[in-house]
Amino acid sequence: MTTTTLNFEFPGYLTANKFLSQLADKANLNPVSEHYTLISYYDTFDWRLYRSGIICELNRSQTVSILTLKNLHTGQLIASADLDSVPKFAKEFPSENIRNILAPLLEMRALLPLTTLECTRKFVNVLNKDEKTVLKLMIDTFEYIPCRLQLTPIKGYDKAALKFIEALIRIGLVESNQPPLIDALKTQGRKPKDYTSKLNVKLDPNMRSDLAVKYIFSYLLKAIKINEQDTIAATDSEFLHDFRVAVRRTRAGLNQLKNVLPEAETARFSHFFAWLGQITTPTRDLDVYLLDFEHYKKSVPPALREDLNPLYDFIDRKQKQAQKNLASKLKSPDYIAPLIEWEEFLRSPTIKKPTQANALLPIKTLADKRILKVFRRIIKDGQRITDQSPPGELHDLRKTCKKLRYLMEFFQNLYPENEIKSLIKSLKHFQDILGEFQDLEVQEITLKKFSEEMMNEGIPADTFLAMGVLIQTIDKRRRQAREAFQTKFEEFDQPDIQDAFHSLFGC
Amino acid sequence: MKIIATFNIKGGVGKTSTAVNLAYLAARGGSRTLVWDLDPQGASSYYFRIKPKIKGGSKKLIDGKRELDDMIKGTDFDNLDLLPSDFSFRNLDLVLESKKKPTHQLEKLLKPLSQEYDFIFLDCPPSISLLSEAVFKAADILLSPVIPTTLSIRTLDQLKQFIKKEKNKKIQILPFFSMVDRRKKMHLDILETMPKQYPELLKSAIPYASDIERMGLERMPLGGFVKSGRSIKAYQDLWEEINLNL
Repeated sequence: MTTTTLNFEFPGYLTANKFLSQLADKANLNPVSEHYTLISYYDTFDWRLYRSGIICELNRSQTVSILTLKNLHTGQLIASADLDSVPKFAKEFPSENIRNILAPLLEMRALLPLTTLECTRKFVNVLNKDEKTVLKLMIDTFEYIPCRLQLTPIKGYDKAALKFIEALIRIGLVESNQPPLIDALKTQGRKPKDYTSKLNVKLDPNMRSDLAVKYIFSYLLKAIKINEQDTIAATDSEFLHDFRVAVRRTRAGLNQLKNVLPEAETARFSHFFAWLGQITTPTRDLDVYLLDFEHYKKSVPPALREDLNPLYDFIDRKQKQAQKNLASKLKSPDYIAPLIEWEEFLRSPTIKKPTQANALLPIKTLADKRILKVFRRIIKDGQRITDQSPPGELHDLRKTCKKLRYLMEFFQNLYPENEIKSLIKSLKHFQDILGEFQDLEVQEITLKKFSEEMMNEGIPADTFLAMGVLIQTIDKRRRQAREAFQTKFEEFDQPDIQDAFHSLFGC
Repeated sequence: MKIIATFNIKGGVGKTSTAVNLAYLAARGGSRTLVWDLDPQGASSYYFRIKPKIKGGSKKLIDGKRELDDMIKGTDFDNLDLLPSDFSFRNLDLVLESKKKPTHQLEKLLKPLSQEYDFIFLDCPPSISLLSEAVFKAADILLSPVIPTTLSIRTLDQLKQFIKKEKNKKIQILPFFSMVDRRKKMHLDILETMPKQYPELLKSAIPYASDIERMGLERMPLGGFVKSGRSIKAYQDLWEEINLNL
């Protein structure tokens, strides 16, 4: 007995009262109630719900407070539950149904309020001659956006519904499932999905390199600034993550695109972004442990899982301290002053006759040259690695791969989409194994370090036993990743990938 | 899905008001609920202001030519639907008789609705007939209102004997006192003595009350026009007690 609702939008000039008076002689209307209602919309910073086709709204009136999840495209209800205020994370929702829908979509991201609309919500029933309800109407009146009507037909009274809908269309209503959220955002000069951590820099291939590079850096600076406040507030772990990615990309850009911007500035800001990377590392590393903790637990036998809880508490305490240190650094002049200088530098006009060798090169030429050079270095370094090579060599190779990845992402719009995407995919596949190896090695070392620190805290012996087992499983996975390296590299070091790189980036 | 039939051989004992009010409470509690008005008098259809009319009448309905779902009407209350009565239901016995395995017909018709509803209330006409046998076959619970009079008790015995003869082990008979008038000495006496003879009797009793009678004027379940009071409380208690027996 699922109920399908139909949604209509009023023409801009029509008010709810005028609408009802126009219908008065066509239908037997029974006003049921009228409430002042606040509709608050929620999503994650990167629009995870909207991207999954879900609109999340909290409807509050004097009598009820209900959270509803609706289908973005059809306007149909997916789930609803009584709720006074919206918790930050999916796991904190009291309703199991809502939790199960939200958890896989939101993951670690916080739900944040997007906007709140004030509305007068009228409930009106349409009756037949027996005074039986044959249709239910809900009319929302907003201040700056057109009224909405939600029509709920009653089972078995289709004819009455059709007749009524015909009357609505004659009055000028249009069927529309677009949520009022879109209009509300428009009034604020915003639109859905206005943030993504993915790079999408549009460049002209013939642009001067110094100009293009400044353009890329400005794009990254925007990402740094947009994530800054919530990184300080620790709203969720991903603000810092995206902040760091933008910092790392900037640093890679400064180091990889040399002889483009004045040397003194390049060196100074490269140093600043290296520092910024460093001060954000401890918090992010600890965040990763906390995010992966459930996974850690699952990797040890069930009987030992709960024994790992003191480790979680220990990391959590360390994370909170690290976050506090980070927040104070991000509020200090050490961060603010150079960032302002960086912004001013990026805004300053480019020098007419620059002395830097690459400054006037068309950006496409510079991109081709750099990408191919770094690619060749990866192949050369990779071929040199044997089963006996020390971990440091794999680590260096990983860093070179990251540089190539960033370069390809900076300049992806200069190349045919399918071709560059496919090469990025091959690189990513290879990078994954290097990343896994490196992460597992660091985790093994760090967990051993943690256990030493925890010794002084009177932690139960069972926890150390469980941590020992955890380290063993990590060590096993690390060795597996090391063994898999050769195969993965061979998959990347293929003539067809070589040819593709040369034909796409060959000058 | 649980199927609950409100049944008594006698008429005027409160079958319809029980079906309608308990269905209302079930729906209000969030359960998807259907009332099937099997009585040609169409009283429960009347309470929900729904026309007692089925296209093609009882014959088409029993033949299964039209899906039961197509004949269902939504009531004015959330989660609560009604399958209306039709005057042709007075001949339901004849229609059933013309079928193979007549007593299995209702069960067969209701089966497709098992995913749609959590509770189906069958509001049955009085008397024992082929239709009632089909109801006994389909229902999980036979909810039988009993007025505390000697005659009513006699009919309860008849019902129990009949079910025993049918060897229907699935159905659970839950009798309860209905239309209890505490001003009448006989009602009070029977209320006192009968539970000892009939341990299956539910403890909750529905009073004889003017607000229940007003349902006919208001044309809606009690909860639709009364927010609190003795009668409403009595139905709530009864519904809670039935739930304990489910």
